Amino acid sequence: MGTKEAGDARAAELGLLPSSTNPNKQMSEKPNYALKFTLVGHTEAVSSVKFSPNGEWLASSSADKVIIIWGAYDGKYEKTLHGHNLEISDVAWSSDSSRLVSASDDKTLKIWDVRSGKCLKTLKGHSNYVFCCNFNPPSNLIISGSFDESVKIWEVKTGKCLKTLSAHSDPVSAVHFNCSGSLIVSGSYDGVCRIWDAASGQCLKTLVDDDNPPISFVKFSPNGRYLLIATLDNTLKLWDYSRGRCLKTYTGHKNEKYCIFANFSVTGGKWIVSGSEDNLVYIWNLQTKEIVQKLQGHTDVVISAACHPTENIIASAALGNDKTIKLWMSNY
Amino acid sequence: MEGDGSDPEPPDAGEDSKSENGENAPIYCICRKPDINCFMIGCDNCNEWFHGDCIRITEKMAKAIREWYCRECREKDPKLEIRYRHKKSRERDSNERDGSEPRDEGGGRKRPAPDPDLQRRAGSGTGVGAMLARGSASPHKSSPQPLVATPSQHHQQQQQIKRSARMCGECEACRRTEDCGHCDFCRDMKKFGGPNKIRQKCRLRQCQLRARESYKYFPSSLSPVTPSESLPRPRRPLPTQQQPQPSQKLGRIREDEGAVASSAVKEPPEATATPEPLSDEDLPLDPDLYQDFCAGAFDDHGLPWMSDTEESPFLDPALRKRAVKVKHVKRREKKSEKKKEERYKRHRQKQKHKDKWKHPERADAKDPASLPQCLGPGCVRPAQPGSKYCSDDCGMKLAANRIYEILPQRIQQWQQSPCIAEEHGKKLLERIRREQQSARTRLQEMERRFHELEAIILRAKQQAVREDEESNEGDSDDTDLQIFCVSCGHPINPRVALRHMERCYAKYESQTSFGSMYPTRIEGATRLFCDVYNPQSKTYCKRLQVLCPEHSRDPKVPADEVCGCPLVRDVFELTGDFCRLPKRQCNRHYCWEKLRRAEVDLERVRVWYKLDELFEQERNVRTAMTNRAGLLALMLHQTIQHDPLTTDLRSSADR
Repeated sequence: MGTKEAGDARAAELGLLPSSTNPNKQMSEKPNYALKFTLVGHTEAVSSVKFSPNGEWLASSSADKVIIIWGAYDGKYEKTLHGHNLEISDVAWSSDSSRLVSASDDKTLKIWDVRSGKCLKTLKGHSNYVFCCNFNPPSNLIISGSFDESVKIWEVKTGKCLKTLSAHSDPVSAVHFNCSGSLIVSGSYDGVCRIWDAASGQCLKTLVDDDNPPISFVKFSPNGRYLLIATLDNTLKLWDYSRGRCLKTYTGHKNEKYCIFANFSVTGGKWIVSGSEDNLVYIWNLQTKEIVQKLQGHTDVVISAACHPTENIIASAALGNDKTIKLWMSNY
Repeated sequence: MEGDGSDPEPPDAGEDSKSENGENAPIYCICRKPDINCFMIGCDNCNEWFHGDCIRITEKMAKAIREWYCRECREKDPKLEIRYRHKKSRERDSNERDGSEPRDEGGGRKRPAPDPDLQRRAGSGTGVGAMLARGSASPHKSSPQPLVATPSQHHQQQQQIKRSARMCGECEACRRTEDCGHCDFCRDMKKFGGPNKIRQKCRLRQCQLRARESYKYFPSSLSPVTPSESLPRPRRPLPTQQQPQPSQKLGRIREDEGAVASSAVKEPPEATATPEPLSDEDLPLDPDLYQDFCAGAFDDHGLPWMSDTEESPFLDPALRKRAVKVKHVKRREKKSEKKKEERYKRHRQKQKHKDKWKHPERADAKDPASLPQCLGPGCVRPAQPGSKYCSDDCGMKLAANRIYEILPQRIQQWQQSPCIAEEHGKKLLERIRREQQSARTRLQEMERRFHELEAIILRAKQQAVREDEESNEGDSDDTDLQIFCVSCGHPINPRVALRHMERCYAKYESQTSFGSMYPTRIEGATRLFCDVYNPQSKTYCKRLQVLCPEHSRDPKVPADEVCGCPLVRDVFELTGDFCRLPKRQCNRHYCWEKLRRAEVDLERVRVWYKLDELFEQERNVRTAMTNRAGLLALMLHQTIQHDPLTTDLRSSADR
C-alpha cells in the first residue's frame, strides 16, 4: 500500500492526475479494487457470500448443499457445514459472528454454530423453497422469505415460527431487518416492496413503482433511512421509503434473470456494489450514480457481492460455470 | 272337514255349506264359529282352519310345524304326519318363500280378515297357496306351478321373502336358500370349517340391490378351497386388493343408474369364455381357476383348485407384478391430479427425481461391451457397472497418484501466507490459559478458607457452656406476638419459630429432587455435592451436601453443646470471642456453621464451574487448530493468491 501511494503522489507531481492537491478527494472518486484471492472449493454454483460482522470469516453457501467458512483476510479454508438435503439459497450471520442461518430448497432453514460446525436447529414450516434469510440485530429472531409467498419470523432459541406474514402474491426474493430491528422489508417477484413492523407484523408501507418489474433484492441502508431495491429490469434504485420517493437509480449492469445481491460499501468511499449477469462486479458512486469500477475475473454470472464490515474488501461469487469466490481489495 | 276335507276341491264348498245355516260369515274350526281374529292353523289336507285355542296349539308351536294335519285327517289317513321344521331351515325357508312365492295381496280372496294374519299363521300359506293354485276363487294373478310342488315346499311361513335394509327380497341372491360353501364368506363360516371372523352371508346370497358393494359376488372372491396354510402368499392379498377397485367401478356405475349395478354383478357368472370384459384392475386368478368356476365347478368340492398349488410358484411373480403394477397405477393417478395444482417447478423437480430413480435401472441393463474404461492409471479394463474403476486397487492407485501430485502444491500454497485463524487460535489459547490459572488460585484460596472454617468450628465446640443474661432477656420478649411461618403459613410461637421454619422448609424442599445422571468425580474436592443416588429417577443429588434438606438430617443437639459462633463487633470485626449460649437456646446464631460452610462450598463450586468452562473452550480451539489444513481440506479446497505481496488483507492499523 505504501508503494502505491508514493506512486500516486509522484504522478500527481508530474501533473498527470487531476486535482492532485487533495489526495483524499482523488481517493474518494474511484476505488482500485484488485483481485487478491480466488477461493476454490465448491462443486456447484455458489449462491451467496457474506462476511461475518467481526470481519474474520467469510461464509459461502452453494448449490452443492454445503456452507464453507473461509478466513476473510487470508482466504484460507476453515471448515464445511454439512446438513442440508438440497441446494442452499442464502446464508446470514448473527451479530456476534457465532451463528449462521441458511435457507435451502429443502424447505427448511438451519441454524449453525460456527465454532463447532454443528447444526443447532432446523426451522421447518415453509411449504416451498426458502429463498432468503436474515438475523435481526439482537440476533434473537430470524426472518425468512420463501417461494410459498410468505415471510416467516422465527425465534432462534426455540426454533419456533412466531409469525407468518402473508406478504406477497409471488415468491419472496429478499428480506431484511433495519439497523434497530424494528422494521422488516420484503421484496418479491410481484414487484411490490413492503415494510413491516417487526413487533406486530403489521404492514406499514407498500412501495410500488409505475410499472412493477419483479424485485430481485431489497436491503436497508446502514443508517436505516433508505432502501436499496434491485429489479429485474437492469436497475438498482435507492428509495427514501418514508417519503416514498426514488432518489437514485443505478444502471449499466445486466440483471434480468437472477436475484443478485447488492451492497453498500461504507468502509472507504461510499459505493454501491453489485454483481451482474455479464460476469462483472459493478461499483457505482453512491452520490453521482456513475460506474466507478468494473471488476473482471469471473466466468459466469456474479450472483453475490459482499463488502467487509471494516476493511475495503469485496467478496464476489459466481454461478455454476465458475464456482469460485474472489476476494478483491482496494486502498480506498 | 268330514267329507270335504279330503277332497282337494275348493274349500269354499265347505264354507258355503256353512252358510246354509243362514249366516253369511264363514265358520271354521271344531267350534264352528266364524271368529277369525285369533290365531288359526290350517290343515294341509282338508284345508279347514282351526283356532289355535280350540285345538291347543299356540302360535309359537305352530312356527315349528312344517306340515300340519287336523286330527280327523290324521285319523283317517295314517300316512299323514305332522312334520316339524329344523331350526335353521325354518329361517331359510321363510326367506326363500319371500322370493319364490308371490305375495298374498289378500284383496281379492274370499277369505277376508285372515289375510293380515295370514303371514303369521303357520300352515296358512300353503293352504292359501294351494287355493290360489286352483285359482278359481281368487283373482290373484300368480303363477301357480311353483307353488304346488312337493310337500317339502309347503312352508308354513308366508311365501313372501322378508325384506330388510340389506335385502330387497326379490333378486336372485335374495331368493337363494343355501350357501354355496365355496366363496370366501362361506369358507369362513363355522359350518364350513372356518374361523368365523368375517361373519357375512354367502357371496351368492348377498342382495344384488342392497348389499354392500364389497360383499357382493365377484368371480375373484371365489378362491380355491385349499386351507389357508397351504395358500400361496401372493394369492391371499389379492382379494383385498381387488375388492376396492371393482367396487369403485361398480360404485361409479351406480351413480349413473342403479339398475346397471345389478346387471354388472350378474354379468361375471355369465361371462365364461372371455375374461376380458372384466377390467384390468380386476386381477383375475389363474385361467384354470376361472374356467373351473365358470363351468359351474364350485359344486365340485375343490378338486380342480387343489391342483393349483403346484402351479403357484410359476404364477406368483406374474401375479405379484401385476399386483404391484396396480398399486403404481393408483399412485400415479393421484400424482397426476396433484401436479395440475402444483407449480411448474415442483412438477419438474418430481420428474427429475423420477428420472434419477430410473437411471440405476438403465445402468443395470447395460451390457459389458458398452461399459466405460476403468479410470485407474494405465488400466485398460472395463469398469465395474455402477463404478468408475475395474477394481479397488485401481481406485486406490488413482487416489494415491492424485495426492502425490496435488498435495505438495497445496501445502506450499497454504504455507505461503501465515494463517490468520491460527494466530487467532494461539492468542485465544493463551488467554484461556491465563484464566485457568487465575481460577486455580481462587480455588486454592477457597480451600484455605474451608479449612479455616472447620478449625473455627472445632475450636468453638470445645468451649464450655455458660449461661448468660442475654438468654433470659430473649425469653421474656415476644411471647405474645405470633409469627407466621413463611413455608406453611401457620402461626407459630416466636421462640420456636426458627426451628419450625427450618424444618418446614426442609420438608417442602425434600419433596423435589435436584440431580444429574453423573456422580461427582472431582479430584481434590473434599465435600461438595450431596451425591446421594435416587434409584427412581436414576440421578445423583446435586445439592450442596451441607445444605441438602432431603438427604442430610441435622444431628440432634446435645444439651451441653455450646453455640460457638465467633462474635463480631460492628459486623466485620472479629472479637475473638465465641457465643457461649447452649446451642439449643441460641436464636441469634441459629445453624451458623451450616450457613458458613455452605457459603464456602458455593464459592468452590463456582470456581469449579469456571474451570470447566475454560477447559471446554480450550478443547474447542485445540480441535479447530489440529483439524485445520487436514488432508481432505487441502485436497478439496484451494486458495489462489494473485498478488504475492499481499498475504493479509488487513490494513496495517489492525495488525
